[in-house]
Amino acid sequence: MTMFLIKKADVGKIAQELSREYEVYGPMIEKSSGQTFFDRVEDLAEINLAAPIPSNPPKAVVFPQMERILAYEYDRTKNAVKMEPDYRVVPKALVGLRPCDLAGMLCLDRFFMGQEFVDEVYLNHRKKMFIVTNTCITPFKQCFCVCTDSGPAAKEGYDLNLTDLGGEFLVEVGSEKGAALAAKLGLAPAGDPHLALKNEKVDKSIAMFEDIAVDSKAWISRVMNRVTTGFAKEEVWEYIGDQCFECGACTFVCPSCSCFNIADVSNPECAGCADRLRTWDSCSYEGYSRMAGGHNPRKPVEDRRNKRFFCKLSYSQMKKYLRPGCVGCGRCAWVCPGDIGLPNVVTYVRREITR
Amino acid sequence: MNQKPGVCTFCGTGCGHFIGTENNRVTRVYPSQNHPVSKGRLCVRGWNIHELLDTPERIKKPLVRADGGYTESSYEDAVARLVENLKKYPPESIGFLASPRSSNEEQYLLMKLARAAFRTNNISLDSDSGHRASLNVLHAGTGMAGMLGSIEEIRKAEFILVAGIDITRQNPIIGSEIHMAARAGAMVVTLDSRRTQIAKLSKKFLQVNPGANKLAILALARTINDENLSDAAFMSAHTEGFDTFRHAFGLLPDNEVSDKTGIPAEEIKAVARDLAKAKSAMVFFSSGISGLDEDTIGYIYNLFLMAGKIGREGCGVNPVAGLNNLQGGYDMGLAPDLLTGFQPLADEAVAKKFAAEWKADVPSAPGTPVYESLSNPSSKLKALVVVDHDEGIVRYADAIRNLDFVAYIGAFKNPFADFAHVVLPIATYVQEDATFTNTERRIQLSMKKIEPEEGLLPGWKLYTMIAGKAGQAWTYAKVADVMEEIARLTPPYAGVSHAKLSSGFGMQWPVNEKNPKGTGRFDVAKAGRKLSFYKVSDVFEVPSAKEQYPFLLMVGKAQHFWHQNNLMKKTHIPMREYNATLMDYPDGYVEICPQSAKEIGVRDRWPVRVVSPHGEMRVAARVSDDVRPNTAYAPYFVQEMISRFLLGHTEVLKQGEDATIPVRIEKV
Ligand code: SF4
Ligand code: SF4
Ligand code: SF4
Ligand code: SF4
Repeated sequence: MTMFLIKKADVGKIAQELSREYEVYGPMIEKSSGQTFFDRVEDLAEINLAAPIPSNPPKAVVFPQMERILAYEYDRTKNAVKMEPDYRVVPKALVGLRPCDLAGMLCLDRFFMGQEFVDEVYLNHRKKMFIVTNTCITPFKQCFCVCTDSGPAAKEGYDLNLTDLGGEFLVEVGSEKGAALAAKLGLAPAGDPHLALKNEKVDKSIAMFEDIAVDSKAWISRVMNRVTTGFAKEEVWEYIGDQCFECGACTFVCPSCSCFNIADVSNPECAGCADRLRTWDSCSYEGYSRMAGGHNPRKPVEDRRNKRFFCKLSYSQMKKYLRPGCVGCGRCAWVCPGDIGLPNVVTYVRREITR
Repeated sequence: MNQKPGVCTFCGTGCGHFIGTENNRVTRVYPSQNHPVSKGRLCVRGWNIHELLDTPERIKKPLVRADGGYTESSYEDAVARLVENLKKYPPESIGFLASPRSSNEEQYLLMKLARAAFRTNNISLDSDSGHRASLNVLHAGTGMAGMLGSIEEIRKAEFILVAGIDITRQNPIIGSEIHMAARAGAMVVTLDSRRTQIAKLSKKFLQVNPGANKLAILALARTINDENLSDAAFMSAHTEGFDTFRHAFGLLPDNEVSDKTGIPAEEIKAVARDLAKAKSAMVFFSSGISGLDEDTIGYIYNLFLMAGKIGREGCGVNPVAGLNNLQGGYDMGLAPDLLTGFQPLADEAVAKKFAAEWKADVPSAPGTPVYESLSNPSSKLKALVVVDHDEGIVRYADAIRNLDFVAYIGAFKNPFADFAHVVLPIATYVQEDATFTNTERRIQLSMKKIEPEEGLLPGWKLYTMIAGKAGQAWTYAKVADVMEEIARLTPPYAGVSHAKLSSGFGMQWPVNEKNPKGTGRFDVAKAGRKLSFYKVSDVFEVPSAKEQYPFLLMVGKAQHFWHQNNLMKKTHIPMREYNATLMDYPDGYVEICPQSAKEIGVRDRWPVRVVSPHGEMRVAARVSDDVRPNTAYAPYFVQEMISRFLLGHTEVLKQGEDATIPVRIEKV
């Protein structure tokens, strides 16, 4: 593997170079609130590699909350339909992606593009992308990627991977695109001692989870077995379901959740014209799983919750993603009005096992 | 980065969010992590507000009625038409129906327009009097016409009573705070006739007979009295007038408690002891369109006063406003008898202060709430101005059709506009800076996020234009100037300005010299007065089912949707969720328990006829364990038919949440 070094003061050059060819996205701190967002960067100086894990999942770049994917016009007199797909094929660079979020995006890749049917809209967002990951040398309060094998350092899927070694960043190259950029920047080569230092930093970070990542502890492996085989007791799901407010937040914030809704919105100013919107959706909503004819296979709310956790924690889903669906970012615990983020659910299912 | 902070404008919780835009259109929403109220959470409505804010279902051009249809017009002409028509009538024949969704600035200017320019006090909020009832009680008792507690302090309460409100549906993020408090160990008790989600999440659930809330509260208060559990030191130091309440204790013989309330007497006593024992306690009840009646609220307030649970940390008597700026509406004087900040219109010094600021006399002739006029066949009302009507249906449609002139002002399309002779569009709340006051008195500034469509005016500019045409020169250069005027006239808002609100997460009134950063909770130590017990009635008409009408029908809200809310209908996902219910029950439903269903001989989704002394409706049965035998529940917004059926029961709509209708339910 090729490795380079870049001085802390120079790390901004990576985004600068990328901005010539790509629309740049990265972590920034919103001033009025102190909240981190992973968003389109207008001022490159705003990228903050030390910012805590972004509050929003970077999946929004490839899978926006609401996007127009098609415009159509029906001409009644000619009985003709005009359809215009609306894909934004713009090269995008993600700078400073956290490892868990990259793992989430890889799950989405497998969902949207890795099966029989390839999702054109997603593909068009995702192709021509440059990814720069950022190793977490300290975890954050709600993190548990060590339990889901998705951090605190990225292993695959990046073009460049950055690790803060103190005065400089280690730059690991993960692709030809990455190598080309490193060459263009004329970076100094790094050697084994630097890699050893990185590994030390990662081990230290893992050791810090005990004290820092206190909000979330999710021992996932035992629970996976239970969830997959359906042995988790019904009362546990009921206990969880009673606490669900059906807000949809856990799905929206999850870097690997892919539920969406399609809505055609007619234009009151143009008869026969409509926009087709794709919006985030959630399996926690009653209307989501409803089938035509009034049969809803997942009517009671505890069943709908069950589906989400099944999605995140079962082996069968793992086969699809080639990894657990949960990447340990802890966001769902943050936003859940019912206090049933994934770590708590894991605790409840485990409690049942140990009992 | 394209994330602009703002406030969710669906319900009175006032959660913080960020709105993202692209090409001058709203494309997304995200919760605000550090917001003191919502702390990173939103409910299903809040998570989908971008769908509403991007709807094409907007009013974009002024319209005037001509030849049975509408023709597009200019603001200039439409406003001229409006003013000309209103000026035709004496003040008592003009009415203004204001919106509990408009910003404080817009509400204030509409109030000023009605009074200063058109000289009428016929102005009221387009929602029921429920919240006013709460404010009356709290204002009389403590001087504070708003929630006494603070949402941020919920987790400091050791005891929380949730009385007759489906709070995880109506104001979900407040419900979430209560749930979190319960998980941290608080004794949460739900008093309701229906097993709501919060009932399931509570430590104790008192399933009260429909219509017997007041009696249950009285039983709690009496236990505290009989067992000497009241906070005697607090009572003597801080309260007065206990004698006006004490007499009520004799009205409920011990042996009738469980019979009339449906709750075992011992359970009530245990809850009274929990309340007395707790160091801090809060109560939440519904305010707004289906809130409790004033007398019941008086009982609740008195109970908490006896227990010494007012004005201290973690305490509060907390009416919950269902609509985002309902509290602001009363703060802005949208009532025939009020000016801003709950200052009585009848107070001459107050009226003088306003007259000096407005350079126009404040009319002194008493006004009438608009709905009261509409329901009165001999009313003098002839011309009506309506702003941003909220309900998806129009009540008193016949009376409105009979008016000489109707003007509709709003941002979104609405069925009320079909009754109008002049329709005037205004910008949405993300197209101009605007402040809203949530249910805990938090005034929050939501900054402009996108430009209004070409030529479209924000509300404050339109009102200024109307005033100008009516002969009043208003000189606001920007919307922040309006708040400055409000601050000059309104003691609780004295220290408020847009500049001060532009950072942080809003301020809770009163904001004044003594409390420059606002006031989280009512504080008995700073009250400067004694708290008085509220004078309650001793009338307890517990409705009882009769042979002919063996069911007590409760009416209320359900999830995702309030009273056919006009805004929700312009979203995709919340609307789909609403439709999901309708697919199962296309004609609406009445909820009954399995035992009752068996007796009637119906199953889930079978049609039934609901018959009352005043009318009947045909709906589906929804069989559920959440109600008890011989009680039934109908969410009144689910079908227009249900709304119409209920309109025949005006006295019920007045009573609000505790109201019941004795009915017979038959198989068809
Ligand atoms: S979960 Fe792991 S990878 Fe994600 S931000 Fe936290 S430490 Fe980094
Ligand atoms: S399930 Fe929760 S913790 Fe796991 S990846 Fe999704 S949001 Fe993150
Ligand atoms: S975030 Fe929590 S309450 Fe909301 S849908 Fe998910 S599990 Fe339910
Ligand atoms: S609780 Fe109310 S204010 Fe908060 S997100 Fe929901 S609708 Fe909006």
